[in-house]
Amino acid sequence: MGHTLEEARAAKDKARQLFTSNVGVGITKVDDGYALKVNLRNPLVDKENVPTAIDGVPVQFEVVGEIRKQQP
Amino acid sequence: MNLDSVRNAKNEARAVVSQLVRNDVFRRKLGIRAQSIDMASQPSTIALGVARATAGDYSLAVRVQNRLLMEGEEIAAIRHLAKGEVDVKYIGQIQKRQVPWYQQKCTPVRIGCSVAHSKVTAGSVGAFAQSASQTILVLSNNHVLADENNATLGDPILQPGPYDGGQNPADKIGSLTQFIPLNFTGVNTVDCAIATLDGGITFDSKNLDLLGQLSGVRTPPVDIGDTVAKVGRTTGVTHGTVTAIELDNVTVGYDNGNATFDGQIEIEGTGTLPFSRGGDSGSLIVDQDNLALALLFAGGATGGSNGQGLTYANPTAAVLQALAITLIV
Repeated sequence: MGHTLEEARAAKDKARQLFTSNVGVGITKVDDGYALKVNLRNPLVDKENVPTAIDGVPVQFEVVGEIRKQQP
Repeated sequence: MNLDSVRNAKNEARAVVSQLVRNDVFRRKLGIRAQSIDMASQPSTIALGVARATAGDYSLAVRVQNRLLMEGEEIAAIRHLAKGEVDVKYIGQIQKRQVPWYQQKCTPVRIGCSVAHSKVTAGSVGAFAQSASQTILVLSNNHVLADENNATLGDPILQPGPYDGGQNPADKIGSLTQFIPLNFTGVNTVDCAIATLDGGITFDSKNLDLLGQLSGVRTPPVDIGDTVAKVGRTTGVTHGTVTAIELDNVTVGYDNGNATFDGQIEIEGTGTLPFSRGGDSGSLIVDQDNLALALLFAGGATGGSNGQGLTYANPTAAVLQALAITLIV
């Protein structure tokens, strides 16, 4: 069964502490409920030892590169 | 050929092209039209450059604007000069790129058109708002209207922005009146600022170009998967999907350093297009019912399911609350 928005919110703070190299930790959706989204500037070095869930809430990682103000 | 040999061949070929242009001018002076009207209207010019032949080899690039020249003696002469190492292509007449309306002077000033502080390049008009005293205001980002905290209240705001040719005072539409300072050491929630409009400057607070009319401010919370759109100075009307909400620790690069934002909305472009690019900062993001839901301020070129990068935006409610304004719709 999927996770609620409240469960994802509760897990978000832990994710923020856990993934110190993040450039964004938020809430997204997977097929059956809410999940955590962890944005990274660069790919994870040690993928095998990275948790795929926090308190049961799934974690999605995405490499988003550098984020800049949208100005020419 | 190596690069130096191509450059030498290019210089020699210039003489052939110069003669061709002189002959064309002479023929036109005499009113000679020994070709169809269509062909006669095409310029008798050949552009020369350097093309890559193989990984370590170059050839003379020859670009022809008139089909009649493709089999002419001039191309034969250039082929001979370059010992056959030429890359000849018919390119036709090149048209001046049409500048889209949102990068031009807009009368009335519209949502999505180019705007900026006189010392900033360009951003977008997000929306029109009013304060408690009913003053009409232009809404955009701090980094568009207030130059990342560097501006002084009262500074001129130009439409279009300087990057699009806006000049002070000819294109001044108003003055910076308030900005929420960007905090480069703590946490931010918004990147926003407002400017007053000068007397006589007209505005259209509803027109969202191809999207229709702005219909209000969204009340229900934004959710993942919501379909959104915007009108902006660089990419015009684009459509997207919300990919994340309540995004904290979004680290954004500014000229004055990195700033961190909490509570942000993340969006990816629909199909194969990005949702935003540089210059779209300040755009108002609306939902399917044209209700305002966020103010665009940042983005990257990496990520998203289409690989075109992700866009970040402040929730509208946070912006309106911070500036103590209401949107005019």
